[in-house]
Amino acid sequence: MKRRVFLMGLTGCSSGGPRLNVFNWSNYVGPDTIRKFEAQSGVHVRYGIYESNEEMLARVQSGNSGWDVVFPSNYLIRPMREQGLLAPLDRALLPNLSNLDERFRAPAWDERLEWSLPYMWGASGIVFRREIAPKLTSWAGLWREDLQGRITMLDDPAEVLGACLKKLGYSINSTDPEELRLAQREAVAQKRMLRAYLNAEVRDSLIAGDVQAAHLWATTAQQAMDAQSELEFVYPSEGFALYADCAGILRESRRFELAHRFLNYLLEPEVAVGVVAATRTATANGAARRLLNETNATLYPPAEVLARGEWFQALPAAAQRLRDRLWTEIKSA
Amino acid sequence: MNRVLSLYAAGVFAFLHLPLLVLAVFSVNGSRFAVWEGFSLRWYVSLFSDPQLLEATLNSAIVALLSTAFSTAAGTLCAYGLWKRGSRALSGGLYLSLVTPEIVVGVALLAFFQGIFRFIGVQLGMHTVILAHVAFSIAYVAIVVAARLRTIGPSLEEAAMDLGATEWAAFWRVMLPALAPGIAAAALLALTISFDDYVITSLVAGVDSETLPMVIYAMARRGANPAINAISTLIVVFFGALIVVSERLRAE
Amino acid sequence: MGTIRRIETPLGRLRFWFLAPAWIWWLALFFAPLLIVATYSFLERGAYGGIEWRWTLENWARLFDPLYGAILLRSFVMAGAATAACFVLAFPLALFLARSGPRRRLYLLLVILPFWTSFLVRTYAWMFLLRDTGLVNTVLLGLGLIREPLPLLYNHGAVLLGLVYGYLPFMVLPLYATLERLDPSLLEAAADLGARRWDTLFRVVVPLAAPGIRAGAALVFIPCLGAYLTPDLLGGGKTVLVGNLVQSQFTTARDWPFGAAVSLLLLLAVGLLLPAALRQREKVL
Repeated sequence: MKRRVFLMGLTGCSSGGPRLNVFNWSNYVGPDTIRKFEAQSGVHVRYGIYESNEEMLARVQSGNSGWDVVFPSNYLIRPMREQGLLAPLDRALLPNLSNLDERFRAPAWDERLEWSLPYMWGASGIVFRREIAPKLTSWAGLWREDLQGRITMLDDPAEVLGACLKKLGYSINSTDPEELRLAQREAVAQKRMLRAYLNAEVRDSLIAGDVQAAHLWATTAQQAMDAQSELEFVYPSEGFALYADCAGILRESRRFELAHRFLNYLLEPEVAVGVVAATRTATANGAARRLLNETNATLYPPAEVLARGEWFQALPAAAQRLRDRLWTEIKSA
Repeated sequence: MNRVLSLYAAGVFAFLHLPLLVLAVFSVNGSRFAVWEGFSLRWYVSLFSDPQLLEATLNSAIVALLSTAFSTAAGTLCAYGLWKRGSRALSGGLYLSLVTPEIVVGVALLAFFQGIFRFIGVQLGMHTVILAHVAFSIAYVAIVVAARLRTIGPSLEEAAMDLGATEWAAFWRVMLPALAPGIAAAALLALTISFDDYVITSLVAGVDSETLPMVIYAMARRGANPAINAISTLIVVFFGALIVVSERLRAE
Repeated sequence: MGTIRRIETPLGRLRFWFLAPAWIWWLALFFAPLLIVATYSFLERGAYGGIEWRWTLENWARLFDPLYGAILLRSFVMAGAATAACFVLAFPLALFLARSGPRRRLYLLLVILPFWTSFLVRTYAWMFLLRDTGLVNTVLLGLGLIREPLPLLYNHGAVLLGLVYGYLPFMVLPLYATLERLDPSLLEAAADLGARRWDTLFRVVVPLAAPGIRAGAALVFIPCLGAYLTPDLLGGGKTVLVGNLVQSQFTTARDWPFGAAVSLLLLLAVGLLLPAALRQREKVL
């Protein structure tokens, strides 16, 4: 015990000072967001980042990870709840809840917002270099021979299988083993044309031009497009996946009120505006959106485009197991 | 033949060292990319203003020092005990632990820690990292010290005991000082291995125990971040100097 | 055991205390964890990860799937190729070292120096050199030798290069140790009898260096078989070797039981190779 205190003292934690451990996607807060919360609340925040849901889940699944607040995608809310990983939210501690966009006040994955708070939403599509002819308009474009070695896909089983399923005309939430196997075969067929499976890391390569077409989230694509005018983004014609990353509190957390304060802080319009200015994400915060007056078609696609989108859903356990196994097989092939 | 061999050797030395030299050169390059754009220390400066990096370095240092202390002690005792009279089982066990791939050791420790932590309400953290580092270092220490023991031979201890020393006194007063260079070498080895470990550490680290290799790995995965060149150069220079100094000391 | 000690120790208890820490460590932090992994390999995976206490042989059966056999084969081939490449590169260097005179310590230091710096850093160095915006491509583009960056990174070749670079010192040192002990007059004698230089090398020196070759091969092959970091960083997630498979099952794929089965298989493979590599006389503990 003494050694723990000694160690903690050495690592610069204020001994006994309040602290919050937040585990979030990379590039999901503004440069000042955390610092302002720390100043406002007098709490020291340890901020960890991850690049994929799987990475986050792997850490928190033990129920003993040490994190307080995490940001799972919407389709993980129900499984995490069923595994007893999430703590129920106390609405009384979240006065800023009314700032949420109407669309997200009673979402399909958590109708009474008992377990999660929508934070940012988005979709995945294709970002590509303007000079490519003919232009990419559909998922099939990522299987083109002339782009061999210059394509990347997301390192995300749900996204990759989803893209393959859409390419074949099926639902991204398909549980049919036959459809999933066909999707897996598509992914394996694509592998030799693929440069790598990369998430947000591909941004630099896109900007530099090594990667000419990437399966990427709209927000990361927008970040790349801000830095490189030769890039263009398209929502594929066959349809695409919609997701919402939501803030949740882990059941193992011993800092319940503090975590709620953080969530409430994130719901403030100015804070959300500060975040999206830096991250270029589509916020679920309606009040912030009104302040922004944002008309970016990549981040906030018009209604007719949005209609082609399909929200990721939580899947039954057997289907999830099959998908996990198919992903291992895709990666290993 | 000699000329050919010498040229060849020069080539291999170049192969071994050039990549590191390249990193060093580009760590003072003003540009983000591999194009030379003038001398600049900005990447080094950025290192020192990154609290996460500094904390990770501190964690690495703490873990390395503590785990080295424990593993050197245990490993030295083990090597000495085995030298006095062998234990097939323990020797076999040590060999097994040496050849077991790091990834297997890492996942086994993860499974072990998570398994017992359910019952005692502890989390992954600095303590698990330190324990893991001790686990993989002991065998290395034992080997290095054992090698030194074989060089020294039994005569020293025999002489001491002939002069009336007890077994413990012979060890403590006579053998240990004689072993000192070997123990120092073993400790240096353990220190370097611990500081550099990524695979096992990444699996058993907790919220508060991010180490330097973990930060470097994340930066390397995330793309072209020139700050890595700076931190890499610092590591190379530091440990390079350490080994050169220790070699010099050994020569005396 | 190879010890030559024969002092009678009336107090065997002292030896007990000397070995106790090592035993405790070995049992608690090595044997017990491996036992747990072995147990997990016979259990079922939980719905979203974790384990369920239901016994099954499914994980082991799954190992027979040709997909995983291919991964194991690929790992063996990669490790074998790295070992062979290391040997070819290291042998002449070891010869040079064994025949070098006064500057020997300096040369040895030069060989060891990279090993003492971080393995991660050394792997990253190749990322920096080989990536599309890396030094090699920048130079080639600048010289006009190529028009587009060459895809040097994220393939099997890059992984092999990384492995060879990382483990070359492990091959050089045992080879040097063995060669250094050879009587130089042997080489002279072979040369005197009129054998051409190459002949000497292959017929005389290499067989005599066999213990060193075996040790070096073991020191390179075994870690390369279980390599994780190099294929992960230099392979771009496309080069899946056994080490990567284990890591993914324990993290992102959340299939601990299957990962446990693969780990044990890897351990078995390595454990079987060990006696082949080490002979009785060469044990060091």
